[in-house]
Amino acid sequence: MRTRAILRIARLSAFSRRSTLVLTLAAIALATALLIGVERIRHDTRQSFVQSVSGVDLVVGPRTGAVQLMLYAVFRTGSATHTLRWSSYRALADHPAVAWAVPLSLGDSYRGFPVLGTTPDYFAHYRYGDKRSLTLRAGRTFERPFEAVVGSEIAKRLGQTIDSRLLLSHGAGNDLLPEHGDKPFTVVGVLAPTGTPVDRTVHVSLESITALHLDWAGGAPLPGVTIPPELATKFDLTPQEITAVLVGLKQRSDAFRMQRFVNAFRDEALMAVLPGVALDELWDTLDIFERALRGISVLVVLVSLAGLVATLLAGLNERRRELAILRSLGASPLDLFLLLACEGLLITAAGAAAGLLLVTGAAWWLHDALRGAFGVELSTLLPSPDEAWLLATILSTGLLASAIPAFRAWRMALADGLTPRQ
Amino acid sequence: MRTLIFLLSCLFISPLLAADSYRQIAWEELIPKGWDPAKEFRDLDLANLKDSDPRAMEALERMKTVWAQAPTEPSLAGKKVRLPGFVIPLERKGASVTEFLLLPYFGACIHTPPPPANQIIHAVSARPRGRMHSMEAFWVSGTLEIRRSETDWGNAGYRLKVERIERYEEPLRK
Repeated sequence: MRTRAILRIARLSAFSRRSTLVLTLAAIALATALLIGVERIRHDTRQSFVQSVSGVDLVVGPRTGAVQLMLYAVFRTGSATHTLRWSSYRALADHPAVAWAVPLSLGDSYRGFPVLGTTPDYFAHYRYGDKRSLTLRAGRTFERPFEAVVGSEIAKRLGQTIDSRLLLSHGAGNDLLPEHGDKPFTVVGVLAPTGTPVDRTVHVSLESITALHLDWAGGAPLPGVTIPPELATKFDLTPQEITAVLVGLKQRSDAFRMQRFVNAFRDEALMAVLPGVALDELWDTLDIFERALRGISVLVVLVSLAGLVATLLAGLNERRRELAILRSLGASPLDLFLLLACEGLLITAAGAAAGLLLVTGAAWWLHDALRGAFGVELSTLLPSPDEAWLLATILSTGLLASAIPAFRAWRMALADGLTPRQ
Repeated sequence: MRTLIFLLSCLFISPLLAADSYRQIAWEELIPKGWDPAKEFRDLDLANLKDSDPRAMEALERMKTVWAQAPTEPSLAGKKVRLPGFVIPLERKGASVTEFLLLPYFGACIHTPPPPANQIIHAVSARPRGRMHSMEAFWVSGTLEIRRSETDWGNAGYRLKVERIERYEEPLRK
């Protein structure tokens, strides 16, 4: 009975002073949105990265850094510093411990999206998430040169469907890139959505990549030499160089020995990484930044709660008469303490709820953009258990902070009695 | 009344019984007795060879081949065991690991060869097991299996069906 009365009075009291408190509420809302938003992006980015590769024992490439190799071979961002020879790929694929080896060739792009040259084995062996295979939403995989299979994001954004024509550009990460205008590609298949960088990749055959660059040298077309597409297919289109290889072993426990074999390979400077270990290395590097971001967000929340405390404290002087009236109606000093504490908690709760709405709205708005640009799947639904825990912490901190004005009110009630000093 | 006491005591005893059903083993037990990989190298004076000496490199290559043929201990097939090790996550579901490799020592140093085939365990879990970072130490309990090798490059390997995982805590030094 008493608690209900206190809650009611607290609610009405705060509402009657809403013009003063709305700024405090906005501050708490923004602070909550920042904290929850940072946590959500951090969690979902990790999730997307981890889900991008499954069932691959080793990623092999020219000797660079483990994280860099993973970034361009699996996540298709960044660039390769060197290539690996086809003969080295064959030595790897023919090794008795290897079950399958899928070659990857990167370097071209289509309207900002990466183009991946590979073999049909890619669609058979590439797994993501919980060992899920790639499936086609429409059409088939490529069979002849100049055929392309696009990921679902590209199909959605650019409206490409079966039989659409694509003109690929040489290079990546720029708008002003030279185009392979004389050799258009035809879309023959569209992949189902995966929530990984596969969605934003154009897949073509390795032979197509070789054919594209037959009359190019050093990154630019050879002047005066043009080889039309029909003639290009008559050449031997076995690639000479590729960018990376995804390897699956017959026994997963052979991973370390295979890694040593690749690292000590005498014919070329190669390196092999275990995806799980490379990802851990990536998280370790990013950990400091994530912690810094989280620390800043926590500070912002504390600042907004300090604002709440200041507002409540500042208003207490004018409320002395109001508190005296409440005392004359039978409220004890403890009731007044609880009243102020409740007010603080209600404002914090309202601010946190508004902040959560803000984050959900932002997630809805950014969802497609993040998916298209990075292949990161942002969750837009209810808060995860970690986020719920953060919200609970914000609420309890708000309640603790409200104890300061509540204590002041208690002291004032004791000192003033029924005759407030103005 | 007596049946109630009997049932209650069964209830209390059963977790104790369950806890004892895993035999704690040491990594050495995974090596069959009588396998001596060092016997090939007794004639070499390894202590006086530099790392870059061609004889040392050749010996390393030979050791790698010998370790690759490392046999498994057949008596351990199907046994419930518990042993500590360092993990290398292979497959994750979200943030939780579902498949990993278990190793007897920390780090994959370039100067030393990788562990022999009978000192690496491929552990698979039916349900996700929580966060694991590369090279963290855990006590792993489960059923050990020996998988026949499908390649002629190495020997059969150990596989573990994971049933329980505990983080490894260093006992406090007195």
